[in-house]
This record gives sequence, C-alpha cells and structure tokens, in this order.
Amino acid sequence: MQRVAFCFDLDGTVIRGEILPHLARSIDLADEMQLLTTLTMQGAIPFEHSFRLRVKLLSEIPISTAQEIVSKLPLESNIIRFIQSHNSDSYLVTGNLDVWIKPLIERIGCQCFSSQANHSGDRLLGIKSVMQKEHAVKSLRERYERIVAIGDGMNDAMMLQGADVAIAYGGFRSPVENLVRLAHYVVYNGSGLCHVLDTQ
Amino acid sequence: MSRIRHAIVSCAGLGSRLGLNSAKCLVHVEGKRVIDYLLPLLADIEDLRVVVGFQEAEVMEHVSKIRPDAVFVRNPSYASTSNSYSVNLATHDLHEPFMIIDGDMIIEPASFRRFLLAAECGESMVGVARSKTDEAVFVKLDESGYVQQFQRSPRAPFEWCGVAYLAGIHIERSSQFVFDDLSRCLPLKSYELECVEIDTPDDLKMAQREIHKYNFSFA
Repeated sequence: MQRVAFCFDLDGTVIRGEILPHLARSIDLADEMQLLTTLTMQGAIPFEHSFRLRVKLLSEIPISTAQEIVSKLPLESNIIRFIQSHNSDSYLVTGNLDVWIKPLIERIGCQCFSSQANHSGDRLLGIKSVMQKEHAVKSLRERYERIVAIGDGMNDAMMLQGADVAIAYGGFRSPVENLVRLAHYVVYNGSGLCHVLDTQ
Repeated sequence: MSRIRHAIVSCAGLGSRLGLNSAKCLVHVEGKRVIDYLLPLLADIEDLRVVVGFQEAEVMEHVSKIRPDAVFVRNPSYASTSNSYSVNLATHDLHEPFMIIDGDMIIEPASFRRFLLAAECGESMVGVARSKTDEAVFVKLDESGYVQQFQRSPRAPFEWCGVAYLAGIHIERSSQFVFDDLSRCLPLKSYELECVEIDTPDDLKMAQREIHKYNFSFA
C-alpha cells in the first residue's frame, strides 16, 4: 500500500475566503488588499513580492488580533472532516504567516507548511521566510510515495506540478485557468473534492 | 442514494462526425442540452465523474451548475485518444464497481432506472439497445441474454449502447474501444435500454423525433 500525503492550500480551499483581506478590514484597507490578493491569485504579481507588500501593510495589527480574526473565518466542513480523519497524512501548505494561523492550525489538527514571521511578543516585525510551496512537496517526497495537492491560485502551481495527483479547487472561487491546465481533476465543492480524495 | 457509488460520463470527444463545433453533450435537443437529460438520471449516484476535453470550460461550467459536486476528470489529449483512455483516467483509482455512460446519449428514464436496479445485484452488465443503424457495434446474445460477442458485422437485433456497469473489469488506457476490454470478459449479462446516441447529424434528427416518446416527468 502506497503512503499518500494530502497537501491543501488554505485560503479559498480549507478556508472559505481569504485571510489577508479579512485582516485588512480591521485597518480599513479591505478593498486595496482584495485587489492585490486577486491579482496575485491570477499570477499578475509574483506571490513573494505581493506577500511582502501585503504583510507590510498589515504589520500594525497585533498578532493576537490577527489570530482572532483568522479563527473566526468559515471553514469548508467536508474538507475539515477529511483532514481530521486523515490528520497524520494531511498538510496545509500556505503562504500565510505562521503566527497568524497558529490557533487555526491547532484547531484543525494537522501539520502545516507556512511562511514564518519575525515577531516580538504580540508585535509583527517582518517576514523570516516566505513559503515556496514546491519545497513542501519535495520534503514530503522523502516520506511518501504519492502526493495529492489541492489548490486554486497561481501560487499553488508549483505544488500541483510536483504532485502525483493535481486537483484544481473551485469551491470558493473558480480556479485560475492556468492552474486548471495543470490539474488532473477539477472540482467545485468540498463534497466533490472528497469523492476524489477518498479514492486515492 | 443508489447502491452504485460511481458513475463516469465521457464528454471529452470532439464530436467531429456531428460537426457542430460543440461538445456533443452540450448540443441542444428540443430546447435542452443532451447532458441535461442525462444528469437527473444520475442524481442518486454519489460520485459523478465527468471526463472533459473539447470545450472543457464550457462543459464544466454547465454541469457544475446542475451538479455542483461533480468531479471533472481532464483529458487534455482528447483529440488523439480514445474513449477507453478517458474512461481509464476516471476509473484507474476506483476499487469499487462503477457505471460508464457516453455523454452523447439520451436515455429513456424508466429503462435507465430498471438498468440501475438490475445492476444493484452486483454483476457486470452491458447496456444494449435495438439496432438503429448499420454502423453500430452489434452484440450477439445467447438465449439467456448474455453477450457472446461484439461485432461490426453482420448486423444483429441489438447494439452496444455505450452504457455499462462494471464490477472487477478495468478499462485499459491503451485499448482502442471500451468494448475491446469488455470482449475479454465475455459472456456478460446484457440489459436493454431505450436510448439514442448522437454521433451524426442523422442521429440528431432521430433524437429530436424519439425524445417525444420518452417520459422525463419523473426523471
């Protein structure tokens, strides 16, 4: 029996929404952040540049406030059920900062690859490292024979390319066209996604 | 929910013989698209997989509005591969029986419902229809209704109609036709379906005539 790892994008896949625009709302920059996020998802701006800029804009938000906002975001229940029943082989792979998503990840109860923050107590100082999603797939290769990756934006492209089974997910918004071209499967809700995951 | 958990609808092909520059499952017949007649028949099947290729964006957009939990299996090589290739893409990871259905068919609902009920016994089953043209793949049946042979000629009273329930039968990626794989597993139980398959402009005309005889009110 092959050992299978399941790699889930977080924003727009496990979370029914985007973290950064929600954080931006608390400092009245929601529209600007949504524009940047959408352009990044479509691949119009490289993820790393965009992410550094967006984090800079959000850095005045206390970490505890950000965690509280993130913890209230709605989750896709079918995907959460799948992750929790396969928690030792399920991984969230996200560009988001570890400090913002820590309580959420603990609540979901699986492992996570994320960007890492420099912080001092409740204050965000900057970014220590930006998650390159293909690195997560590469490191899982050492332990798994088969990797299934699920995502919706261009920052998931390398993760899907490195996986054995690539799934473009359109539960929150339509997956970007160029990501669909890399996918073996396309699904539009959590229930459909679990039909594929259950047979891997 | 049906006891049959997986159904695969093949919608990847170019439909070049029909020549309408449209995926055949999206062709209009009497005010509805071909796939609109098929999807309600599969409403109780939990895992619906639609293989897409030609005009995949249009097919996915249309089907996902009706069946949001459908799984779309991409066949980017649709122009150079056979239906067997598409079916294999959608079924290679399944370890349970599944239904296969060509996406260019309109099936009379009551006959399809009887087919599903008969398939629930778990034995592989091949859908056959009264032969309508000379270009079909005909089936030679024995006295118990088991398929003994698939043949291009001579013409026989029944033809293979592109629907099957397969338990323990795998469709290989390299096969030229699905019935090539079925041929290796004969004899196979058959079950008659009332249906039309839309491959050519003449088939489309026939579908437009036949559809008025079908009762879709309870589909």
